[in-house]
Amino acid sequence: MRQSVRAAAAISVLALLAAGCGTKSAAGGGGSSSPSPKSGASAFTACMVTDTGGIDDRSFNASSWQGVQQAEGNGITGKYLQSTSPSDYTPNINQFLGQKCGIIVTVGFLMGDATQTAAKGHPSQKFAIVDFTYPKPLKNVDALLFNTVQDGFLGGYLAAGMSKTHKVATFGGQKLPTVTIYMDGFWDGVQYYNAKHHTNVKVLGWNEKTQNGNFTGDFTNQSKGQQLTQTFISEGADIVFPVAGNVGLGAAKAVQQADQSGQNVNMLWVDTDGCVSAPQYCKYFISSVTKGIQTAVKTAVTAAHNGSFKGGNYVGTLTNGGVGLAPFHDFASKVPASLKAELNQVKTGIENGSIKTATKSPV
Amino acid sequence: MKLELRGITKRFGSLVANDHIDLTVAPGQIHALLGENGAGKTTLMNVLYGLTRPDEGEILLDGQAREFRSPADAIGAGIGMVHQHFMLVPVFTVTENVTLGVERTRWPGLLDRRRARREVRELSQRYGLNVNPDAYVENLPVGVQQRVEIIKALLREANVLILDEPTAVLTPGETEDLFRIMRELKAGGRSIIFISHKLREVQAIADTITVIRRGSVVGQRPPTATGSELASLMVGRPVELRVHKEPARPGAVVLDADGLTVPDDQGNPAVKDLSLQVHAGEIVGIAGVQGNGQTELCEALVGLRPVGAGRLRLDGDDISRQTTRQRLAGGMGYIPEDRTEDGLVGDFPVADNIILDVYHRAPYARGIALDLGQVDSTAVSRVSEFDIRTTSVQAPTSTLSGGNQQKVILAREIGRDLRVLVASQPTRGLDVGSIEFVHRRIVEQRDQGVAVLIISSELDEIYALADRIAVMYEGRITGIRPPTVPVAELGLLMTGADGGPAGEPAGTEAPAGTEAQQLYVPQPAEQEAPPAPPGDGHD
Amino acid sequence: MTEQGGVGGSAPRASTDPGGTEPGRPPFGKVIIQAIIQGNSVVVTVAAFAAAIVIGGLLIAFTDPVVLHAWSQFTAAPGNAFAQAWDSAAGAYAAMFEGAIINPHTVASALQYNSISAAFQTGSVSAIFDPLSETAVNATPLIFAGLSVALAFRAGLFNIGGTSQFIGGALLATWLGFGVPLPLVLHAIVVLIGAFAGGAAIGWVVGALKAWTGAHEVIVTIMLNYVMIYLLSWLLGTSAMQRPGRADLITPFIDGNAQLPHLAGPSLRINASFLIALAAAAGVWWLLQRSTIGFEFRSVGANPRAARTAGMSVTGSWVLVMTIAGGLAGLAASAVVQGTDHTLTFQSYGTYGIDAITVALLGRARPLGTVLAALLFGALHAGGVAMQGLTQTPVDIVTVIQALIVMFIAAPPLVRAMFRLRGARAAGPEQALAKGWNG
Repeated sequence: MRQSVRAAAAISVLALLAAGCGTKSAAGGGGSSSPSPKSGASAFTACMVTDTGGIDDRSFNASSWQGVQQAEGNGITGKYLQSTSPSDYTPNINQFLGQKCGIIVTVGFLMGDATQTAAKGHPSQKFAIVDFTYPKPLKNVDALLFNTVQDGFLGGYLAAGMSKTHKVATFGGQKLPTVTIYMDGFWDGVQYYNAKHHTNVKVLGWNEKTQNGNFTGDFTNQSKGQQLTQTFISEGADIVFPVAGNVGLGAAKAVQQADQSGQNVNMLWVDTDGCVSAPQYCKYFISSVTKGIQTAVKTAVTAAHNGSFKGGNYVGTLTNGGVGLAPFHDFASKVPASLKAELNQVKTGIENGSIKTATKSPV
Repeated sequence: MKLELRGITKRFGSLVANDHIDLTVAPGQIHALLGENGAGKTTLMNVLYGLTRPDEGEILLDGQAREFRSPADAIGAGIGMVHQHFMLVPVFTVTENVTLGVERTRWPGLLDRRRARREVRELSQRYGLNVNPDAYVENLPVGVQQRVEIIKALLREANVLILDEPTAVLTPGETEDLFRIMRELKAGGRSIIFISHKLREVQAIADTITVIRRGSVVGQRPPTATGSELASLMVGRPVELRVHKEPARPGAVVLDADGLTVPDDQGNPAVKDLSLQVHAGEIVGIAGVQGNGQTELCEALVGLRPVGAGRLRLDGDDISRQTTRQRLAGGMGYIPEDRTEDGLVGDFPVADNIILDVYHRAPYARGIALDLGQVDSTAVSRVSEFDIRTTSVQAPTSTLSGGNQQKVILAREIGRDLRVLVASQPTRGLDVGSIEFVHRRIVEQRDQGVAVLIISSELDEIYALADRIAVMYEGRITGIRPPTVPVAELGLLMTGADGGPAGEPAGTEAPAGTEAQQLYVPQPAEQEAPPAPPGDGHD
Repeated sequence: MTEQGGVGGSAPRASTDPGGTEPGRPPFGKVIIQAIIQGNSVVVTVAAFAAAIVIGGLLIAFTDPVVLHAWSQFTAAPGNAFAQAWDSAAGAYAAMFEGAIINPHTVASALQYNSISAAFQTGSVSAIFDPLSETAVNATPLIFAGLSVALAFRAGLFNIGGTSQFIGGALLATWLGFGVPLPLVLHAIVVLIGAFAGGAAIGWVVGALKAWTGAHEVIVTIMLNYVMIYLLSWLLGTSAMQRPGRADLITPFIDGNAQLPHLAGPSLRINASFLIALAAAAGVWWLLQRSTIGFEFRSVGANPRAARTAGMSVTGSWVLVMTIAGGLAGLAASAVVQGTDHTLTFQSYGTYGIDAITVALLGRARPLGTVLAALLFGALHAGGVAMQGLTQTPVDIVTVIQALIVMFIAAPPLVRAMFRLRGARAAGPEQALAKGWNG
């Protein structure tokens, strides 16, 4: 038995060897270490490491990759490596460190440690990290964070103003700071609306004060989002704000079903403009509470390419356009002009600091 | 209808299961096929019944060559088979069962139950089968279920009926009934192929006896042939058919069951208020039809099944609450009924099975470390002591023949110093040579002062070994008799009757003294397949 | 094998096979797994690997847009179409080889230095060994978790609960790692023991529930996986476990003292955990083959009824084997927490628990086989990173190849048919007996 397994292993190594040798003769030519036809010798490569969500998560990995792709051209090419578990972060970054990347973009706060270690070990390598910030800014890392409590606040105000039932709901994928910061803002926005209009719009699914609420447990299981949203609807909520990536599609399905059965239920999308990323449900999206990952990543990549890279922490806000509400699309005519005007006032208030947006999540 | 098999050969790999077998069954004849397990009887019948295609040879019906690609072909040609394991649906009635597949219908496709029931009743009456067409099969005794199978074959107009080890599951009384039915069928012009390894039955019912050994026909004899002659043909050498044993010299009570009640898996009592004592130096045999609580009794004795009520004592100590390991350590040896399921780990080497219940003790273990050298040397010596035929002590036990597997268990259990040996069906499925060996060893234990309890549904074995015979019926001991008791009386006890002293001989001769009664040949473990190529056991 | 009742049964079918020595009818699932573990020859394993590599290569080639474009021009330039497909697959596998075993370019660049010391100082030498180091690092948790599954399987239990046991070990180990200051060496050992104990506790729960209530271990382990995943998320959010200053679910770094030392300098990630894993494999082998406990485990696994009849405590074996198996899965967490990551996040459990099943099956539930299978998977994973990094072939292809290997091994008749091998089972009883897989 033992001999057999050993033989199996030996032969598998041979197979790999054969594959390796095969390339030499087949790929032939320059003997470049990279057989990829895309990478030229002098090209600037933007290398991105996704977290475990992968490139198609319709969330920050996807947005970051879109940012890299938008930066492509003019001598910039992009490539990515997908992490399948947190243990992949370091080897994936190491892999790119060995490839002379112009900039290494890491996506997600979970890669904070690995990125920091790599950045300190390779001071001449430029990095950007999405959704994270360092207490002591690093010179060779663009740390890109988004103060989504601000547009979450606008979303909450909008939802409170649009709700007929005086009940709105939100839920998250997992209880993570990048998730709860939206929910904090949403909750605050509703409370601000209540204070201003002497109404009593209730928020289901989250409480900023207690930091307790509803989470589906992951960012992939749509049926859980659908289930939770149905619960909220049956409890009287008529606007739902899922902060859960792909799980939000489940929420949209529940909203669609409610709409088809005659209920008037709508929702807010998160991260990206829902009418672009999930157009099939556009007619239910009052607006989307977005963060400008794409733009920020694109800016970081371009800056690294043209020499204007500074490093340090960047915080996306309403003021610098890093966060904000998406266009109303189908609801452009349904949102009252007065509410639109109020939203503008609130926005100005947040920008000049006269309206405080509280959050326990780091900004 | 005259049935002829000519030159039937069937190989499985390099094993020749049937080697140019010729067999002719005349109309209205009961033709017995006698042979040990693995001799090739079942394979031959499977060829005849279309379950297996022969590699060579042909089947002729009334002189016409026929080819059976499936049982359906065979049935169509008028051949019926009653398997050892019945193919009945328990929750259907007799009529439903026998018409399954040949449903009697009337326009427009409805089941014609009345006609079906009438046909069953007619067949039942004509051959004295005595079966109620409307009874549910699950409520019928095994003997009646077998008759249902016969009706099934008759309804399909079988002219040749194959009965595969039909008496294996029957009580002596039921066997008598079956023989009566077979004679009726014969009188009705049907041929019967009767497969068996029981000499006495074959002699009692057959018109012609064909003996098969290792896939070949080794002889044909009239039923008047002596048992010794038939047995020698079967085995291929002169056979010692008697167990030589001195009269028992019983000592003190060793194993004492006192008012034992044991629940089965469903919690119903399978052993009911059973009291039995086994003395040092005697063999007590428990006779009875299977399924009357023997299995549960064994398991309770060894500690595999909790005792519901009553006491179990070993040398006066209450062991009712002891674990199996404690009981084994206390001097109990156990040969389980189902050796491959309960007695051996088939994937393990012979050596490991020889120490399966002592591996944790010195000298095989030091702390938790196994002393493989010790295990090996013990195994080697046991293998030679018990004449276990194996290529090496490291060979997987499942590759051994049934007899050798049983010897492994025997080597393990008898290898320890025993106070009491519980042996359940100790020779089931074994060849004659192995049976001799096992019996000799068991008697040897008795003579060394071990209390021996044998549980067997094989009456021959009980007669051969027991110093006292206890009959078990529905969880109770219905009587304890000396080994001179007539079969008829045991048969009555086995059906629960309060058999008084042997009153009427009931057509069955008293066993003592007659040679036929001393013949004991095993009941097969299963109708299927020998556990190993037949050569293994005795070459 | 009982004859009572006499209804039902499948005598005629079985009787056509004179070599059929197998008694009884074990449950179907167990039959399949037994078949995977025992029924395959080396040839089948190798053939399965080769088949998986070929199909993986086709997938690589025909998901590559360059290749697809070349094939759309097939009639114009058929040679080019084949060449492109070959280049694509071969290039991907070459990159995989460079990432998993050795990269010729690192050798070449190390040879440029005219003194050995210079080559060492610049790190060129360690760069040569980086792929092997990565393979070992990737394999380490799989060895532990694979041993966990293999050990449990030898006792007849199917441990799907690697994830929950990993988390149990990880939680205790990490907490001991950052929360309890201890001196060098001792700290690492205490944390290591903690990892084992944490996993063992979860394993014990499974074994105890099975032994005392009869709950099926597959159900229990799957449910416990959920319980532990949510417990992990919750605990990482509490002040006891959460890293100060972080709002996301991550613990503080464990002390330097608690970390396992690198084996070949700081630039290579290979660390002492790999050696511990090899030692664990040797330990499991000893336990199974040379100890009374392992004898019991194997007896219970191979034939629980015979084990019970021989006086062994089947339920006791279940509890003990699950405890040890859980501890081994907990050690997989040590490989991650003490060996590489030095911290714990809500996702650290990765897919080790599931991959471990594959590894153990591929390794035929034998310790050495498990190590080799884990190394193979580690190599595939390490190679997958290089493959995606260099050729942008999706890393998912590695998962596909792993799955294909297992699929082919699980379907020996298919593999035999593909390669026209004559199955041992189809041959006569002599061959079946001569085969002899008693390991």
